Amino acid sequence: MLRASSTANDLELDLDVVRGDLQESGAIQHAPELAALVDASVNDLASLPSARSALVEATDEATMLDAAAVVANFEMMTRIADGTGTRHPADRLESMSELSSSMGLGDFASERA
Amino acid sequence: MTKTPTSLIESSHEATDLHIRSDLTAAHAHVWEKLAAPGTWWNGSERLAVAEVVRVALGDFDPVPPWDSASKSGRLPNDSVISSELQDAVYRLAVHAGTLTEGWYQKMRDATGVTPQQWVEIIEVTISVASVLRFAQLAGIDSPDFPEPLQGHPTRQTQPSKPAKHHWVPVVHLEDSTPELAPFYAGLPALAPVIRALSSVPAAMDTLFTLGDAQYIPMREMVDLNWTRGTLSRRQIELVAGRLSAHRECFY
Repeated sequence: MLRASSTANDLELDLDVVRGDLQESGAIQHAPELAALVDASVNDLASLPSARSALVEATDEATMLDAAAVVANFEMMTRIADGTGTRHPADRLESMSELSSSMGLGDFASERA
Repeated sequence: MTKTPTSLIESSHEATDLHIRSDLTAAHAHVWEKLAAPGTWWNGSERLAVAEVVRVALGDFDPVPPWDSASKSGRLPNDSVISSELQDAVYRLAVHAGTLTEGWYQKMRDATGVTPQQWVEIIEVTISVASVLRFAQLAGIDSPDFPEPLQGHPTRQTQPSKPAKHHWVPVVHLEDSTPELAPFYAGLPALAPVIRALSSVPAAMDTLFTLGDAQYIPMREMVDLNWTRGTLSRRQIELVAGRLSAHRECFY
């Protein structure tokens, strides 16, 4: 969906933003602060308050709360997908094969072809 | 006096200077109302026992690895109304979902005796707790307590679910939709496999749609690649979604 929403707006997007170290991105405003919030929530809870403050500083409280809600939502979606063994239809898998390889998604145990 | 499930969520969301969207508070209150009430295949006490394992798992700073038994580690209640095998399965779903395989799913069903529909309802309880508690943690607000269990029997309402090509669990195909699934299926030419995954238990679909609409994007706005609430842009939303999913090693 990130690729689709960028393409729809004729924006060049490096999909390393999903897994890599983040720099400012022309296509996604405040990407480093958003990524830092997600990363802290998973890997470093001690830094969560500062990540939250940095995002509020860069945007506002309502934006931080909506980012928190999106994280909560994908804590849900990932468990639904992996708990029910959901897999993509073959044509979709084929269309995303290049993307999957470049992002290293094939290393995930949850890959279900 | 015992607090109602809704008042538990409202207390959590109101005990802060932050202004939390009323539709988000309502969505979390809705799933909290269902959390400890009789469900489709489990009663209120059993649903709460599943929720308790999820709460322990999410708060575990040094989680039990996926190949070990959480119930034997002493971290989970030993007087639970659900079996230790089921506790282990719930714990693994809560913290190591990305490691689950079809072989694990079959073995888990053999060990616990749960039906696919019972497992779908366990996923529903898990996502309710994960959503509400993780939002509170990220927002920096107090986590709400769990409600008291309500007495009563599960509805045992069946659906015409069939084996599925894209899931371990059976699903109800669009052409077999029922009145209970109409609110989620009506008017849609297709439904992504991950949305259809819970369709054998309509109450779980209700939880998914209620939370998804408030936490992410209303289902019917999904096709609008520029949709926004006025805060995050669609691309910012998808960055957060993609990054979290990558951390969880979710291929889908």
